[in-house]
Amino acid sequence: MTTFDADGITLEKVRDYVWEIPQEGGMNAPARVLASEALLEEIQQDKALQQLKNSAHLPGVRKHAICMPDGHQGYGFPVGGVAGIDAEDGCISPGAIGYDINCGVRMMTTNLSYTDLQGREEELVENLFSNVPSGLGGGGVVQVDGDGIEAILERGMDWALEEGWAVEDDLAHCEDEGYRPEANAQKVSKKAKDRGANQVGSLGSGNHFLEVQRVTDVFREDVGEAFGLEEDQIVVLIHCGSRGLGHQVCTDYLRDIEQAHQGMLNQLPDKELAAAPAGSQLAEDYYEAMCAAINFAWVNRQLIMHRTRQVFERVFDRDWQAMEMDLLYDVAHNIGKKEVHTVEGGEERELFVHRKGATRAFPAGRPEVPAAYGDVGQPIIIPGSMGAGSYVLRGGERSLEETFGSTAHGAGRLMSRTQAKNEFWGEDVRDDLREQNEIYVKAQSGATIAEEAPGVYKDVDEVVRVSDALGIGDKVARTYPVCNIKG
Amino acid sequence: MGYELREHTADVAVEATGATLDAVFGAVADGLAAAMCDEIPDDGERFDLDVRAENREALLFDYLDELIYERDVRGVLPVEHQATVAETGDGTWTCEASARGVRLSAVDARDVKAVTYSEMALEATADGWRAYVVFDV
Repeated sequence: MTTFDADGITLEKVRDYVWEIPQEGGMNAPARVLASEALLEEIQQDKALQQLKNSAHLPGVRKHAICMPDGHQGYGFPVGGVAGIDAEDGCISPGAIGYDINCGVRMMTTNLSYTDLQGREEELVENLFSNVPSGLGGGGVVQVDGDGIEAILERGMDWALEEGWAVEDDLAHCEDEGYRPEANAQKVSKKAKDRGANQVGSLGSGNHFLEVQRVTDVFREDVGEAFGLEEDQIVVLIHCGSRGLGHQVCTDYLRDIEQAHQGMLNQLPDKELAAAPAGSQLAEDYYEAMCAAINFAWVNRQLIMHRTRQVFERVFDRDWQAMEMDLLYDVAHNIGKKEVHTVEGGEERELFVHRKGATRAFPAGRPEVPAAYGDVGQPIIIPGSMGAGSYVLRGGERSLEETFGSTAHGAGRLMSRTQAKNEFWGEDVRDDLREQNEIYVKAQSGATIAEEAPGVYKDVDEVVRVSDALGIGDKVARTYPVCNIKG
Repeated sequence: MGYELREHTADVAVEATGATLDAVFGAVADGLAAAMCDEIPDDGERFDLDVRAENREALLFDYLDELIYERDVRGVLPVEHQATVAETGDGTWTCEASARGVRLSAVDARDVKAVTYSEMALEATADGWRAYVVFDV
């Protein structure tokens, strides 16, 4: 048997790109890493594998805890982690979903070509930067009152539609149509609502960004056509989450669960994995609050998209409808959801599928896939770094069997933020991207550009190659940055 | 005594030391401010906050969470932290703290999303106290 030794943790090769850490000690299932040897070499450099083993201690974890090809160390659960945990006799763990509930990505297509945009990059990046709120304390597209926050939390994109921030077609092209019906605003604290009130329609900072991109390759013509993608086309990618509201929901419930369910916590090797037993009041309350934060994040990305349409109208002097600025899809990559999957022994079980830095990747035929993509599988958007390509995939045929219907979420970080700031200077990175790659970057903070320099990320091409080879997310198209704004 | 920002692949970690619990709490909070902003101006009004929790570690967590909350709702970067930590005797720990709030519009700052329990340490040493906290960025 081929094995890989990673600083005290031995992984057994199951087949190409599939590595298993056998169940031992307090683990309730084995753990798997989906990676090439090159990616595994990178994944084993930090504490990601130990965190993956820790996550397999969660009660009710089914089949195996999984690390995606872009995995790296996070807090509690690794980033790139997926766990399907039994919704009847398992648990739900806020820390294993993440602070940024429904952090995700949406892509909007256009009928503009790269040549339509060339020569106007500077004007576009300046206009986007001036009009799309970003950074710390930058406000939002709209300031809402208490009733407004409640409505956003309860109704998600339906609220945006009623208020004129969205059109019907936007909802039809969003995961869950931009609305989780289980959401209950009463389960969200006042503190969380206070933080969200002035952040509706804001990018934030860190690795969040808005990017105008051009399609460089379409690998599967039929699926590309179904997704409305063709080479040389301009698209817009928006990456952000539920802002302070979602962060506070996770924090609040982590503390409540820590105090109420100490017994379960004592079985876990990391306090950040604190979990509420399935069926407990806190499990129900957290799920409803998390669903409300999910709704908030969808509205957040919708308002940024609405503002982006307005900016394009101004710069190109045409209606956004005339530029066919349509939502291709919106996917979450920090989320927990009740889904039915086949587990050990072929049994169908309802699970809390925890995806933290992992994207749902349902193939054709799964009822949750929107009607527009029912025949080809759901779109998956994998953002790369600002100097590398991003990818559009579609849900692969093997995703349900291998990963509870999940794949990677990005390139995955390789270098710490502190090291990045020592190695890169924001202004130099920005100038190099413009001069060498014709990429126009504008950020609130030069330090953010340094922390997000292309060199701090794994090779997104390799991450996507492994996803495609495993059949969990099939490569459809590649895009390349033209303009990038960030906090 | 003071703080250092430590390596973490995705997030940011603060390691702090202090002769007393008061000092180490304040030093972690100063490290949080440094994780968000490199150059801090001198202006801004001081504000107070009080936190209570069931143990020392939870108190540190709640104190840092409260600072992040105050940052978002006041629109200020909390800096120059002072904290007084005490055990009340009925199993409750309290932190009476203050900070200077620098308007976010006056600084070039990045977001820190939340405090985490991951790898958290708060321990007595030969010289006083040491803390290690990972923040989600």
